[in-house]
Amino acid sequence: MLAESAKPKTAAGPPRREKKARRTVLIADAVADRTITIGGILVIVAVLGILVFLVAETFPLFRKGTANAEHTFPLEGRAEDVLGVSVDDYKTLAVFLTKEGKGSLYHAKTGVPLQRFSLDLEGRELTALATTPDRKYLVFGFSDGSVRFGALEFATEILSPGNLPQGLTKVDEQDSTDGSSVYSKIPGNQFRKVSFSLTLDKEFISVSETGKPLVALAYHVSGQAERQARAFVALDQEGIPSLNLVTSKINLLTGERRAQVTRAQLPPLPQGVKAHSILLTEKADQVLVAERSGMVYRYNTADLNNPVLAETVRVVPASSTLTAFGFLLGGQSLVVGGAEGSLNIFFLLKKEGADSKDGQALQLTRSFDRLPSSAVFFEPAIMGKNFAVADSKGNLFVYHGTSQKLLVQFPSDAKTGEYRTILLSPRMDGLLALQGDGRVRFWEFSLPHPETTIRTLFRKVWYEGYPEPTYTWQSSAMSEDYEPKFSLIPLIFGTIKAAFYSLLFAIPIAILGAIYTSEFVNLKVRAIVKPTMEMMASLPSVVLGFVAALVMAPVVETWIAAVLLVFLVVPAALMAAAYLWQMIPLRIALRIQGSPKFFATVLVVVCAIYGGIKLGDWFESLFFMGDFRAWVNGDVGGPEPMLFLLALPLTFLIVSVLVSRVYGRRLALLMKRMSQFRAALLEMGRWVGIVLLAVLCSLAMAKILALLGMDVRGTFVDTYVQRNTLIVGFAMGFAVIPIIYTIAEDALNAVPEHLRAASLGCGATPWQTAIYVVLPTAISGVFSAIMIGMGRAVGETMIVVMSAGNTPIIDMNIFNGLRALSATIAVELPEAVKDGTLYRILFLSGLVLFAMTFVINTVAEIIRLRFRKRAMQL
Amino acid sequence: MASTPSKRTVTGADLSSRGEPYLWSMGGALALGLLMIFGFLGLVAWNGFITFYPKPVEVLRLKDGSMVAGEPTRSEMYRLPKNELDSLDEGARKSVQENKGFGLRTLYRTGNFDLYSEDFVWVSEFKIAERSAPKTVFFIERVEWGPFIGLLKTLTVKGERLVAASFTLDRLEKEHRKAVERRNRVRAIERDEMGALNHDLDRMRLALRRIDLEKGKDSPEYQAEEKKQNVRSAQLQTRYGLLQKEAEAIKREDGLYTAVLKDIRGTEKTLALSHIVRFYPANDLSFFQKVKVYGSRWLEFLTAEPREANTEGGVLPAIFGTFVMTVLLAVAVAPFGIMAALYLREYAKQGRLVSLVRICVNNLAGVPSIVYGVFGLGFFAYILGGTIDQIFFPERLPNPTFGSGGLLWSSLTLAMLTVPVVIVSTEEALAAVPQSMREGSLACGASKWQTIKNIVLPKAMPGIMTGLILAMARGAGEVAPLMLVGVVKIAPSLPLDEFFPFLHLERSFMHLGFHIYDVGFQSRNSEAGKPMVFVTTLLLIGLVALMNATAIYIRNRLKRKYYVGHF
Repeated sequence: MLAESAKPKTAAGPPRREKKARRTVLIADAVADRTITIGGILVIVAVLGILVFLVAETFPLFRKGTANAEHTFPLEGRAEDVLGVSVDDYKTLAVFLTKEGKGSLYHAKTGVPLQRFSLDLEGRELTALATTPDRKYLVFGFSDGSVRFGALEFATEILSPGNLPQGLTKVDEQDSTDGSSVYSKIPGNQFRKVSFSLTLDKEFISVSETGKPLVALAYHVSGQAERQARAFVALDQEGIPSLNLVTSKINLLTGERRAQVTRAQLPPLPQGVKAHSILLTEKADQVLVAERSGMVYRYNTADLNNPVLAETVRVVPASSTLTAFGFLLGGQSLVVGGAEGSLNIFFLLKKEGADSKDGQALQLTRSFDRLPSSAVFFEPAIMGKNFAVADSKGNLFVYHGTSQKLLVQFPSDAKTGEYRTILLSPRMDGLLALQGDGRVRFWEFSLPHPETTIRTLFRKVWYEGYPEPTYTWQSSAMSEDYEPKFSLIPLIFGTIKAAFYSLLFAIPIAILGAIYTSEFVNLKVRAIVKPTMEMMASLPSVVLGFVAALVMAPVVETWIAAVLLVFLVVPAALMAAAYLWQMIPLRIALRIQGSPKFFATVLVVVCAIYGGIKLGDWFESLFFMGDFRAWVNGDVGGPEPMLFLLALPLTFLIVSVLVSRVYGRRLALLMKRMSQFRAALLEMGRWVGIVLLAVLCSLAMAKILALLGMDVRGTFVDTYVQRNTLIVGFAMGFAVIPIIYTIAEDALNAVPEHLRAASLGCGATPWQTAIYVVLPTAISGVFSAIMIGMGRAVGETMIVVMSAGNTPIIDMNIFNGLRALSATIAVELPEAVKDGTLYRILFLSGLVLFAMTFVINTVAEIIRLRFRKRAMQL
Repeated sequence: MASTPSKRTVTGADLSSRGEPYLWSMGGALALGLLMIFGFLGLVAWNGFITFYPKPVEVLRLKDGSMVAGEPTRSEMYRLPKNELDSLDEGARKSVQENKGFGLRTLYRTGNFDLYSEDFVWVSEFKIAERSAPKTVFFIERVEWGPFIGLLKTLTVKGERLVAASFTLDRLEKEHRKAVERRNRVRAIERDEMGALNHDLDRMRLALRRIDLEKGKDSPEYQAEEKKQNVRSAQLQTRYGLLQKEAEAIKREDGLYTAVLKDIRGTEKTLALSHIVRFYPANDLSFFQKVKVYGSRWLEFLTAEPREANTEGGVLPAIFGTFVMTVLLAVAVAPFGIMAALYLREYAKQGRLVSLVRICVNNLAGVPSIVYGVFGLGFFAYILGGTIDQIFFPERLPNPTFGSGGLLWSSLTLAMLTVPVVIVSTEEALAAVPQSMREGSLACGASKWQTIKNIVLPKAMPGIMTGLILAMARGAGEVAPLMLVGVVKIAPSLPLDEFFPFLHLERSFMHLGFHIYDVGFQSRNSEAGKPMVFVTTLLLIGLVALMNATAIYIRNRLKRKYYVGHF
């Protein structure tokens, strides 16, 4: 500006400088400006985007199902005549069976009628029909008291376009038909052929001895095709139920299949009972007959020769009646719908003092929200624990039995009226309902994650086969019809348990060590110690995990009593050494207070550890009957030893506080008049006295507590497992100590030097300066160090994967393993199916972990910033 | 504080103000911490360094008459179970009872897994009748089945049998060297040359499929390509056949050179010489020979590929994988980290928002690594990789190319993990550059970018380098996220080879840290793998420590420079 304004005045001056910036410089500047700003913001956004991504991945877990399409078509014939419906896996074919033994096949999505057929029933009248839970096998019941088996199959076949038969008629965009089978175009330029077949066994088996019509049937098939075991129960008009086991054998010579029937006549129902339905469990060991009034008659048929009517119980309120009754897949959850709109699930559980003949009783375990009107149709899925219900007003609901999540619902429209029958498609993606007016409605929907809700993840859930609600994590199991159990609580508990025990071990060592390094060690030693510790902080955790699990765990297992003793001996030895040190004349003590003293400390610690290990056997036989592991198991000995050990630090604290309160002043006055050596002796005597007193008090306390029936075994100490929390605590200590130490030391070091100088100048000793001046100033920094250490302990993965045993149970026992969130992710995510429920739940675990550490670290960071500001002001 | 105590009489009252017990407990804590660290490092170093040193082989005759030959691995006291104690004879029981029910036992590495399906045996001290160390016992490392410990009975050279006494060790060594050459030749043929042919065939198949997907099978391009390929593949097949014949010929010759071994229990075993990796008479070695064996084992460890489910051989692929991944990580993290830090420190308006962002970035450094792994798998591998596959590699679907874990995604995940570290340290380094220098530069007429490029960045470079090296050290030691995004126990091929594009970012790779986890926990016999794990651990710790030491060295130099450079 100045130069410019001067320009017109003086033409001749100093040589003119090029003041204009070169173009390239300007461009470079602008480019750099833009790139760095945009790039920088992008990097920060990307890093923060992790959170967004995790949330986006877990969000679908809590979503309900979504309905995609609805089709309706009319059925030829009367709706009342339809006895059974079935749909194939791909929702292409729907088959309807009527009372007259006629069948008709439809294209499920458009309702185009395909094929009609009729079954040869040899003139008998069809009265009942039952399918197995997988809908592959059927049993027909007839009015003359006989039954006939059948098998229903939807065969699928993948064809290339060249193998497609000629003369197909198009049904819709993808599908075409040859009259009986449907050919669907699928991705990859291929075709899927779906065809239907129904085969009937030749023979009729007579069930009812009196030849009365059968009114209800239930059917199960187990075993392989060659040696099928079929079980069915039949109820005839007289109210006589019978359980029939049919084993068929194939004669190897003739290839003929022969059925052999074993029949058990069950005790008859009381007179006048109007049965609603009959159910059979998978193992054919329970038969349930429901009465319309709401009574359930339970037969225990475990012993086929001696079936008993084990229990008669009311499952709906006295004022109501039973309207829906059935098992969920697996035959363990009994769903009962009442006329007042209630929908409950019962389990058959062992119960003390049950009002039944076999010690078991039906127990109400889950209640659903009340439906608008009574549930009239109940339809379990053939995959998972989903089911559909239709109420009397024509509303349809699809629920998940365990999570009690309402997945989708289809409200009635005015015309609908009551349904005749409903059916869930095999892959849980469609629902078919037959209206009273003969119209078929067919909805398609998707239920991505029916089994998860906030409740199943974080609250107790009563799973099938469990005697009570529990927190359970069990993501995979051997058996086929198992139900995955995803409670995050055991994992969060494991994470916190590991962090807690490791911090218990790490905090004292790290903080005390940091104070010592910052205040009492000379600069040269510090220059070595600090970087060593810092280097430890970056030690790969896989290394720590390996050493902990494969080297330390077996050693600790063998020497567990000695290890426990070391925890007592080391502090005691340090105290003793301190009191001995006080006896050294001050003149000498001051001269050797630097490195020699520290080496003496190291020596004392080493000797204490050595001594502790040597005394381990003695300790074990004195306290734990010579076998620690048997003792913690509760096999030998009483509860006193551990109570004593736990009480000892507490009583020591109480006794020493009491002594210093009561005699402190007098002792101080006394010591003032003494020589240093004698005062030191007195101090030592006092300490020994306090220790002895504390031991006596703890003994008394342990005895009293034991008499009161308290025992830490079973809670904090229990059965010893090789890879346990103690080991995790140790190993994680290695990871956490350096972090806490370094940050705490930095905080202590940041306390301005003039504060120390002032304190020392006032005559305070270094120790007094450290405790009353430096530590209070730096306390928030030290606290933030602990928080950051906690953050690391919570998220540590490899150490817990390798040395924690990975048992997902909630157990306070320090000698048992645990399973942390991080370990679960590391172990299970590589095998989880993309976008499956487990996959998303593991993402949720990651999110929980993220949230936990983020909160902890933010708190630490805010405290640290505050501390920094304060330290600046001082 | 060095007052003159002589002038003032010291009384007991001074004692309590000295706080000696507290001082000792603090000192004790520090001592304990240091002892833990040095104990740990010592344990790893000792075990790591001792592993490859040849140990003598002891031959034991037990009281029940059976024989055991093996390297003593370690001894321990153990509590005898009741039933074992009862089955002892009088003398032994007495000695155990004197020891409060404890007995001493030693773990022997007996090898010969193929004969007895166990290679480690615990032998209790009181069971041993006689202990000897015969000089004729050989320790033979094999390509398969782990080591063999036993005697050399005969040697067959070109079908001619030589009894043990009739040839010297030199002769054996000479034959063995030749056999190893043959083995290497066979491997070169089967892996490198045939591998190259397979690679060509595979590429042709994919090219054809690509045309099929783009233009369809009936297109003239497809027909032309198919015709061309038929000719070419016929050529390749002939070459393949020739190579196969050559390899078979060498193998046939190999069968003529065998050794008959006899283990201590008298079981014989015939072994082709080429299947021997290394052999030595365990009890007849001079110090220099031992050092030679030690050195050759280290060399194998560092330069060879793993054998026997990673429990033997070397870790070259793991070293290589760790190295390549760390370098890629640095390449990815450096520009972004520095850019973000430059923005935060030099460009952004310092205010509430920026300090909030700063807190967040600081916090992200403390977010567990496994969370980044989850993100890497979900976002990089599945979403990003899946998209790349669909656009660029449709011919390989449904086999994923980038759509599963791999080198690139691992490096990027670790870059995400370490970018906060780099941002924080770069910011600190930038903040340490005195404001006066920037002002001076701007006052001389330099633009902002010129100032940053020529003044600020060079000055802050050591600090940035420190942060970068620390980030690399953290990345190199991190295993948990890699388990999700692309590390495998045995990688079929290195991520770098002679086929275009030479660096295969989509391949999964081996990693030293995962190697430790895998061998220590997933292998058949953790005892057999343990020595290997210790050596790998030593290597990994050494690598990380080296990086850290470099960072600390740079930091110290930086400090010195600033003391001078301040004005």
